Order: sequence, then C-alpha cells, then structure tokens
Amino acid sequence: MQEGQDLRLFEEHNLKGTLICVEGIDGSGKSTQLSILRDWLKSKGLDVIHTEWNSSELISQTTKKAKKKNLLSPRTFSLLHAVDFADRLEQIIIPAMKAGFIVLADRYVYTAFARDVARGVDKDWVRNMYGFAIKPDLTLYYSINAETSLERICSNRTPSFYEAGMDLKLSNNPYKSYVIFQNMVNTEYLQMVDEFGLVKIDAQQSIHSKQLKMREYVTNCLKKKGINI
Amino acid sequence: MENRNTKHEYPGLLIVIEGTDGSGKSTQINLLKRWIEDKSYGCMVSEWKTSRLIANVIDDAKDRNLLNATTFSLLYAADFADRLENTIIPALKAGFVVLLDRYTYTAFARDVVRGQDMEWVKKLYNFAPEPDLTFYLEVPIDILLKRVIGTTGLDYWESGRDIGLSSDFYKSFKIYQGKCLDEYEQMKSEYNFNSIDGTLPVEEIHKKIVEKVQCLLNEGKLD
Repeated sequence: MQEGQDLRLFEEHNLKGTLICVEGIDGSGKSTQLSILRDWLKSKGLDVIHTEWNSSELISQTTKKAKKKNLLSPRTFSLLHAVDFADRLEQIIIPAMKAGFIVLADRYVYTAFARDVARGVDKDWVRNMYGFAIKPDLTLYYSINAETSLERICSNRTPSFYEAGMDLKLSNNPYKSYVIFQNMVNTEYLQMVDEFGLVKIDAQQSIHSKQLKMREYVTNCLKKKGINI
Repeated sequence: MENRNTKHEYPGLLIVIEGTDGSGKSTQINLLKRWIEDKSYGCMVSEWKTSRLIANVIDDAKDRNLLNATTFSLLYAADFADRLENTIIPALKAGFVVLLDRYTYTAFARDVVRGQDMEWVKKLYNFAPEPDLTFYLEVPIDILLKRVIGTTGLDYWESGRDIGLSSDFYKSFKIYQGKCLDEYEQMKSEYNFNSIDGTLPVEEIHKKIVEKVQCLLNEGKLD
C-alpha cells in the first residue's frame, strides 16, 4: 500500500465489540467451527451475531444471478463482492460492534484478497478498495489442500463455474480447474498469514480438536477485551 | 490485469464530456455524434450508469434508499467497469470514436462530496484508460438550478439529500451541486479539461467542441 493513507483496515479499531473471522477455501470446515463456537458463546450468555460472505440484501441476489449466467469479469466480480461487504459492514457489522457484540464473520476481506488476486486483479487495487473495512480482532485461516477440498464438497456435484475458476480458462475439466484455482487461492491466503496476522490452522484435524483450539484462541482474544469466559 | 491510467493504445478515440446535471452534456453529445458520423467515422455513445449488469440495481437501491457512501461508490464503479469491459474497450479496439457522457471524474466529484477520500476513489478507478480529449461544460450554480427546475425538477440524489445537507430541497441542491462544482474546478488542470462556458448558445458550444475534435482527427489515427 502507498504511504500516507490511513485506511481503517490497517489500524486497530476502538469499538466496543469483538470481530472474529474465519477464512479458508470451501470444504475446510470453517462454517461448522463457527457455528459450534456461536452456540458455545451464546450458552455463556454473550451477545453474538453471525454474518456470511455475499449475503447482503442490497446485492447478493444480483451477484448470484450474474454468476449463474457467467457474466462477470474478474473486475466486476471483485467490485460486486465489495458492494456486498460494504453493505453488511455498515448495516450489520459496525452497529453490532458499537453495541458491544461478538461478531462472527464467515469469510471477511481476506476472501476477496485471495480470490480476486488469484483471478489476476491487482493486489494493491483490491486492498485499497477494502480499506474501509475494520480490522478483525482475530482471524483463523483453516488450511486444507485443494484436492481434499474437492473431495469434500464435490462428492455429489460439479464445482460451480466461478468456484472452479473456469473463467480463467485453466482447464476445460472443472475438477482439474478447481484444484489449480483453489491452490492459487491457498497461495494467496498463505501470504496473508504474515501480512495480516491470520492464524493458520490445519483443517485436517478432527472437528473436536479444531474446536478446542478455536475456543483457546477466542478465549484469549476476548480476555484482552475484558471478557472472561 | 494491469492498472492503466495512462494513454490507451487502442485504435479508436475516447472523448469525454463532463459537467453537472443540467450542463447540456447530452445535447452536445448528440450534436457531436452526428457531426462525427457525417465525417464518415464510426461513433458510439456510452452514458453513465447504463450497464446491463448493474444499472437497475442502482436505480432500485436508490428508490428504496438503501445506499450508503461506500456502496454508492462501489456500485457506480461496478457499473463503470462493466461498461468499460463490455462496451467501451471493444468499441475502441474496433476503431470507433467513443463519446462518453460522464466519466470517472463524475465519480471523483460525487464520491468526494459524499465524504470519500479522494485518493481512495482515484485508486478505485485506476483501471480506466485516460481519454484523448475531455470537455467540461461549466455552468454557474444559479443557471443550473433554473435549468433543472425548469426541466426534470429537483431529484433526491441530484440534490444530495442522502447526505443530509439541508431538509430544504432547493438549498440542498444548491449546496450539493456547488460542492460538485468545486471538485470539478480542482480537477480542471489536473486532468487537462477543455473548459467551455456552458451558458453559451448550443451552436457556439458545438463549434468550440468540433474545433478540438477536428484537430484530434487531423492527427490521422483513424484514417
């Protein structure tokens, strides 16, 4: 990023709430982990909300339709997901953070950084675009190789056009294309471990041991916020 | 996918007409298009917020008052990117003169007035090729007001009502468009605008425009 630009994403937030994100390619089990965590936090009497990638009222339906028709270029793909994110940030995430909630985000800006850059969008351009995002208190990256991911999600279906990166013409075979593309996405994620301090977790472990580890990280993170579980 | 913001190398020509609402852009574009076609060149017009993919979403979101400053910026950028890739660049590649009714400068002005950081907006649009020629129709605020009230009437967004400048429509329009004019004023020299007094008679403005366009055509790129 260029100097002299005070983008919110690169500074600690001073909101009352806590923002916890999970990242990783499909089939890494991150959504399962997040939903177990949510129930646990709720059982402790904490205020929790949950928000998912590409789910805003404003644009998610348009994006889904455009994806079905394969209408999106890497640039418009990137911009539409940013619209979705900006909408949820203003409508859901920031109000909840102001109210002191624990916000659980299933995918955050790092998903865009990984996917869009794998699609050939300029790295600085996409980081600047999402500069209005608030910096998470904790981001867990569930790391899984593309072959295992493919086995997990595609036992009963073909990967979708954009999931498989078919727009990049990497291979005519959607399964092959999926593996190549998602490996590129993983490469981007790996770089962000240092760049943004993502916590890398091996997604091959059992659900139980992953959850124990997650609770450990979350407990420490909340402690810093003065919340003792 | 390189970020351009430099002179493009397509065989066609990119000509932009900028100005606030009511400055007479569309009238001039229509006249210019006819003039260019009379000279036997291919000409295509692309207007702001008309992409197949996204323009309807913007209108709908505006109607339901769903936009904040950031989604406003990003949706317009998505609209622009879609038109650039699917309409403008293909036409430039095919050697057309592409006339643009508003360009990135419109976004720079409006987004900054809505509170966005200028550097952020500029970077957001840094994939746009630099025009070969940019005209800016300059009209003082009082005349703009009369023109708009006398034709389309004051519109919620054109009056910047979303940013809470004033609950009085007239005042709000005046403040909002005035701020946009200030932004254009600052961009004039930075982006080499050919500034034209938009209060002149239509024919005279047209004459000034074609003079410059003729010079550009004389360079022979399209011959």
